[in-house]
Amino acid sequence: MKGWLISVTLMLATSPAAAQWSSEGSATKPGFSFPPDRPARILLFRPDVKVGAQTTAGMNEPSAEWTATARDHIAHALDAAQLAQGNTVVPMPELGGTDAALLADYRALFRTVANAAIEHRLFPGARLPTRKAAFDWTLGPGIERLGAAGGGDYGLFLYTYDSYGSTGRKAAQVVGLLLGVGMTAGVHVGYAGLVDLRTGDLVWLSADVAMGGDVREPEGATKRVAQLLAGFPGRVVPSR
Amino acid sequence: MKALLLLAALAQAVAAGPQTSEERGLWMEMDEAERELKDSNFVVRDSALQTYVEGVLCRTVGTARCAQARVYLVRTPYFNASMAPNGMMQVWTGLLLRVRNEAQLAAVLAHEFAHFEGRHSLIQFREARAKTDAMAWLSFLPMGVGAIGSVGLAGGIFANSREMERAADLASIGHLKSAGYAPGEAARIWEGLRAEQDATAAARGRKSRRDRNGGFFATHPNSGNRAAYLTQAAAGAGGDDGAAAYRAAIAPWWARLIDDQIKLNDPGATDFLLGNLARDGWTAALLYARGELYRAWGRPGDLEQAVAFYREAIAAGVVPAEAHRGLGLALTRIGDEAEARAALGDYLRLKPDAGDRAIIAAMIAS
Repeated sequence: MKGWLISVTLMLATSPAAAQWSSEGSATKPGFSFPPDRPARILLFRPDVKVGAQTTAGMNEPSAEWTATARDHIAHALDAAQLAQGNTVVPMPELGGTDAALLADYRALFRTVANAAIEHRLFPGARLPTRKAAFDWTLGPGIERLGAAGGGDYGLFLYTYDSYGSTGRKAAQVVGLLLGVGMTAGVHVGYAGLVDLRTGDLVWLSADVAMGGDVREPEGATKRVAQLLAGFPGRVVPSR
Repeated sequence: MKALLLLAALAQAVAAGPQTSEERGLWMEMDEAERELKDSNFVVRDSALQTYVEGVLCRTVGTARCAQARVYLVRTPYFNASMAPNGMMQVWTGLLLRVRNEAQLAAVLAHEFAHFEGRHSLIQFREARAKTDAMAWLSFLPMGVGAIGSVGLAGGIFANSREMERAADLASIGHLKSAGYAPGEAARIWEGLRAEQDATAAARGRKSRRDRNGGFFATHPNSGNRAAYLTQAAAGAGGDDGAAAYRAAIAPWWARLIDDQIKLNDPGATDFLLGNLARDGWTAALLYARGELYRAWGRPGDLEQAVAFYREAIAAGVVPAEAHRGLGLALTRIGDEAEARAALGDYLRLKPDAGDRAIIAAMIAS
């Protein structure tokens, strides 16, 4: 446990300024649209929210207070985001027994698949030679059991991580600037993904390594949620 | 020394929960991790084994204190246990395979509990934050001057970690003594681990890394040191080692623990490990394990030896049904088909709900 902490600490403390990345904000599976004949039920999985302070050296000091506040603000912002556009968004219920283990498995699988998709799809420079255009990541049809347990057609996953630059970090940044050493203050990353709970297909994905909006404030959280959900597929309601 | 004073200052009850903003932050992170761990498929869900391990913890540190810890048995075939600041304790199944008796298990549990009560994660976090902050400022100094200072500071973080491990080791001896366990068993764990590393190296034709755990970057004292000061601390004190109770408690898991260990593909260490466990004699369970190992090892003559071990195991008494499967599979590869069919048939008869029933039945039929 502590060995791990030390390794991460030293890695952060000694790493050069964050690399400059360019990314595409979001992607939708080609041809995807919500079923036009009825509202879809979207299950919101418990958002993964972490907020802390960045020490002078770049370590993250997790903050329970900030994290709890951000979790509340983000939940309210999601309610207000009208992301449903005629669809219904409900929180994934707490599951027990083997369903809980199934949920834990799929949360872990989503993280792995989403990380691969973010890296190789949203960063055009990192696309794999044989998958230049493909957007066909899937968690597999076994996820149907989870949709049945939670009572939904789609699953929405959210992740935000914020490490706000401490006074010491900002001071070091200024000194670094004077000496010509590039140093960033603050880390703000987030991603969101939508999964079809019948096929397991990842149908929409959004990520940013430099997110805006201070999640510790209600307005900031609203801005953050809007940014995370930018490009969220709309539901086309046929005109009569 | 400084770390020890710090430990004394922080020795207020952890039962009261996190006290400062930074401590609340660390607990929150670990509460989130625990929320995931508790539903993980890696967690062993066996109420008998769970009750047994929790019982050993409670006997060792006292029933009033043990309730602050939540024990998770994690199915991972390596030797480790860990304690998070919020009381989440993980014990890996590879550890259950390696400790020889209840006193050794108690020593590990007491060591981890001492980290928790001493708030070692918090101290280490503060230490790392303070020293890496200083390193960040030093990094602005001209190359060389700052770098030398940084090396000293980084060394301090690891030295602090080793000091806390030592403190937890010594605390565990105190717990073993008051619980009536033989405290000398704590050192046996590290002696066994050193010898196992020698065995890995010998089988792979390499130099043993037994006391090479990172030197300057080591988070723990090396196994040789630990065995030495633990022996010294335990000198003169007797107690019960609980070997029979321990064997009985892990018997239902034996076949799975052995299977996980053999799949590490480290036959030298596995052979040593079994020999170490068999110091008081080769039990049926150990002979079965040795059969499994030799069947997988694959050097000339190993299959014949495996057959002999399985037969000895079956003759010696109660073995997992898998002993008959192992015998059948080894005989199949040797070419003794009639005997192989009989052994595989015994396996299916003894374990009618076997997960591999279909494939074994197909082998018998072919």
